[in-house]
Amino acid sequence: MRPLSKAASIFIMLLVFLGMISLQKVSAQEITISAAISLKEAFSEIAKHFEARQKEVRVLFNFGASGDLVRQIMAGAPVDVFASAGLKEMDELEQKGQVVSGSRANFAENTVVLITPQQSSLKIENLSDLTNKEVTRIAVGNPKTVPAGRYADQVLRNLKLYDTVKEKLILAENVRQVLDYVARGEVDAGLVYATDAATKAKELKKIVPVPEGSHQPVVYPIAAVKGGKNESLAKAFVSWVISPEGESILRRHGFKIITNKK
Amino acid sequence: MGLSLRLFKKVDGFTLEVEWAIDEELAVLFGFSGAGKSMTLQMIAGLMTPDRGRIILGEEVLFDNQTGINLSPQDRSIGYVFQDLALFPHMTVWGNIAYGLRGPTRKAMAVKVKEMIEIFHLEGLEKKKPAAISGGQQQRVALARALIRQPRLLLLDEPFSALDSPLRAEMQDYLKTIKQDFKIPVILVTHDLSEAYSLADCLIIYSQGRISQVGSPREVWTNPIIREAKRVYRLSAEALSPERVKTD
Amino acid sequence: MNTDLWFSLRLSLQVAFAATVLIVLFGVAAGYLLARKNFRGKELIDILFTLPLVLPPTVTGYYLIILFGRNGWIGKVLYTWTGWSIMFTWYAAVLASFVVALPLMIRTTRAAIESIDPHLIQASFTLGHSELETAWKVILPLARRGLLAGTVLSFARAMGEFGATLMVAGNIPGKTNTLPLTIYTLAGSGEWSQAQIAVLLLTLASAFFLFWANRTARKAF
Repeated sequence: MRPLSKAASIFIMLLVFLGMISLQKVSAQEITISAAISLKEAFSEIAKHFEARQKEVRVLFNFGASGDLVRQIMAGAPVDVFASAGLKEMDELEQKGQVVSGSRANFAENTVVLITPQQSSLKIENLSDLTNKEVTRIAVGNPKTVPAGRYADQVLRNLKLYDTVKEKLILAENVRQVLDYVARGEVDAGLVYATDAATKAKELKKIVPVPEGSHQPVVYPIAAVKGGKNESLAKAFVSWVISPEGESILRRHGFKIITNKK
Repeated sequence: MGLSLRLFKKVDGFTLEVEWAIDEELAVLFGFSGAGKSMTLQMIAGLMTPDRGRIILGEEVLFDNQTGINLSPQDRSIGYVFQDLALFPHMTVWGNIAYGLRGPTRKAMAVKVKEMIEIFHLEGLEKKKPAAISGGQQQRVALARALIRQPRLLLLDEPFSALDSPLRAEMQDYLKTIKQDFKIPVILVTHDLSEAYSLADCLIIYSQGRISQVGSPREVWTNPIIREAKRVYRLSAEALSPERVKTD
Repeated sequence: MNTDLWFSLRLSLQVAFAATVLIVLFGVAAGYLLARKNFRGKELIDILFTLPLVLPPTVTGYYLIILFGRNGWIGKVLYTWTGWSIMFTWYAAVLASFVVALPLMIRTTRAAIESIDPHLIQASFTLGHSELETAWKVILPLARRGLLAGTVLSFARAMGEFGATLMVAGNIPGKTNTLPLTIYTLAGSGEWSQAQIAVLLLTLASAFFLFWANRTARKAF
């Protein structure tokens, strides 16, 4: 390479490098939110509105099974806000002293439904049909790490179906995987939240609500996590979620709103 | 019952184009490295296919690209002794020699193997592996293995190049005996002049993929390749002349 | 030791063993052909067989779902004919282990066979033995040590398979939760002391197999 073009390419590389460093500073504030995967669409929309109102703020999401998420936070993951699909996970975090006091609030409720694949020829109209011989595979979340799996477990036990169907259970890593297994036809039926079923309604044959009271209420708590980089911004986000505007977005996605937040 | 061939092969920029014939005699393919001698042997044995040509052993056509005949090496009934001997390292002397036999019975095969062991003076070594016997013994096993099927032709590719002189002389005697006892044509590849001259009934001189000359040892004495080989030989002989070796 | 761990260990050994049997049968044959034969598209086939070695197991898992899922190209046919799907069974775990470990066997076999002195094979031919007979009496016996090293290596890899297994067999307690998957669940639910035992088991087993494979390979080449 001629000396001049060699110098030119080094110069350009330096420019690009400097440009990349400075880009880091432009996006002023960031918060990371670990949220139950069933909140994916609702929270993404809420975050967009939040960013529009706040200016120079970026919201980063980490969606997954609430059990996995809480494990990550306890292992030191740099998370600012945590929202789970059950009280148990938030309680664990609070016991470990990792919740910013006073920032916890219950902001939504959900219901559990039984779903079947569009292409399935089996007749499954209600939960007791799951005991039929032709039903060989039922997807539910892993009760150890997925709240939806815990609720499904409660439903099956309360309706005295658990012992009959336990051999047929296929455990998934999070509630959206349950939904995927059913939508893809890998299983004959599955138990997910009503809000999840709504996202893939076209690929499902039946969406049947489970009997009232067959499971603990599905309550979603949210809180700011201690040790986050920007506590005030985290608290601002939590406030936004429980505000009327946040509520209406949640409602639109099928969540029930709690009147008594604490 | 002799061998006649005509071969043409082009590979990696090297062209082999040769034609010669021999009777029931010991023919030596002589020439410098890379002249195409080993290649010729491979093609005679069916381990390499010529681009064009014809190979006839006795009355049988082994290869003819015009009629599409190309016998597999298994069907050519030719004994082959490789330069590195290629004895099966995981088999005993007995196993190596017996390898080419098919029957009819185990007893019949044992008789034949014992015969070979006697002819080649390998008694006591039957159960040993090739790595446990001497170079000369390995040579004899390779010969025995190749000859047990009573092939119609024996090919040897620089078989004695790794041996020291006394052993070499011994092996050359073996070859003369084989020629007499087995009554088949033998083709030997070498670049050693004295070996060529002590063994050959007929010398076929290779030079860069072509035949320089075919004839008796006396006839080819003046061939330029032979002259060059003689010069090298003389130079090495001079190094041992009395003038150069000081004695007290 | 928890009964669950005991089951997982047994399952892992069972899956690895079954996968290795298939791997040896298929891998030696494929490795032999690649070492001995020349044919059109040979290098392409070699790349295809080596891909699972370099691709992340999740990619392999993805392709397996496309092929063997209940609606997959092969899975659909299977389901229509027999009403049975391989997904979420231990057979799927065997399939996943088979696909990811097969390249190891093929490459080891190919190297072992290619390192045999070609004159030995030629000598066998001139002594009247066909390719098949030569393979049985000369080639495979001489490649024996390399083949054994490849087998042990494949077994170890099969024991440790996780990504693709999770995707096609799932992580179903009592059915498909192999040791790696159990460790994942235990760690994910905070049962660290149990996880520790499982991790120790798997590490020791893998180290042992690796040691054995190395020793055998050293004597082979």
